[in-house]
Amino acid sequence: MNLMANILIQVIIAFLAGSLLLGLHRKIMARVQRRPGPPIIQHLLHSLKFFFKETGFPKTVSKPFYIGITFILALIWVVGVIAGPVAHDSLLILFGVYAVYKIVEHNSGSSSGSPYGKLSCVRAVLSAATELPLFAAIVFVYLVTGTMNIGEIITYQSVHGPLIYTIPLAALMFFMLIITKSPYSPFAITKDKALISGFETEHYGLLRGFMHFSESIAWYVMLWVFLTIFFGPLNAVGYLIGMIVITFITGFINATTPIFSPNHSVMTQITIGAICFFGTIVMIFTGVVA
Amino acid sequence: MVSQKIVSIIVLVLSTIAILACLVIDFDAWIVYTVAMFGIPAWVLSLGLLTMAKPKPEDVEGRLKEPFTGY
Repeated sequence: MNLMANILIQVIIAFLAGSLLLGLHRKIMARVQRRPGPPIIQHLLHSLKFFFKETGFPKTVSKPFYIGITFILALIWVVGVIAGPVAHDSLLILFGVYAVYKIVEHNSGSSSGSPYGKLSCVRAVLSAATELPLFAAIVFVYLVTGTMNIGEIITYQSVHGPLIYTIPLAALMFFMLIITKSPYSPFAITKDKALISGFETEHYGLLRGFMHFSESIAWYVMLWVFLTIFFGPLNAVGYLIGMIVITFITGFINATTPIFSPNHSVMTQITIGAICFFGTIVMIFTGVVA
Repeated sequence: MVSQKIVSIIVLVLSTIAILACLVIDFDAWIVYTVAMFGIPAWVLSLGLLTMAKPKPEDVEGRLKEPFTGY
């Protein structure tokens, strides 16, 4: 298949599947809290609707920066689709994508001139603590498989079995990242409702729709990477079931857990990350990991 | 606002041509990746800048002075 056609198809799949999964996530949270909740398709409809809503650029914003940061957000997650589902390239590219995502959170807040955005921008720096467990998880995948290449990791698992059985604590660290990035997460300190919509507060109308487009792709890519590097070679049905199950689990966790204060959020993530990190090292040196 | 519309149309046309060119011609992978990384977000953003509703002339000042609106 033509490479551009492949990329376009994967981006459209990521957007549609990510939107529906985020809609499902919201529905699950509502049902756990005994509310009817919006239809599953609501997140997708919202994303499209915002492209036709009235949009203005407040006087307080730095306009090129304010618009440009939404462009960068979309760009990095298109890179995520290319490095992941399309090219099966290096995990380090995806780590880089996530690192830039934190920069986007930071700069999106600061570009708006809004006090809510700026406070969210400060919290984005704190929440960068989630990158440590992610990096540790990637390092452990490398130590076990001897490669950072996603295609080779899939091949390794087709011979030796899924990595979830070999390094479960590394998988748990990665799962922590997924919980952190899920909507209404206990660790979502950058989007705490005390900050209205956090770094997105001033991005409304078209720009909010554009950010929804990127975040839907982001959710799909993160679930795809998690399933691919820990659950081995999967077919389309396997990915679909896996993504729905993870969305169910995160929805249930987020519906039953209040948001942490920033210091508790960071300390909890670092503590869980440290336990998983040293646990995995112990497993490697005691021979539990083959 | 008029210059924004012109820039949006130019970006939309350029990104459409670049994406279609990559669909028709087999370029090197790095060229296709570059076009996809910049072209797809540019296409969506420029289309959105053209489709978004504009505030009524009498409301413009209020909209610009009214930050922190959230949704």
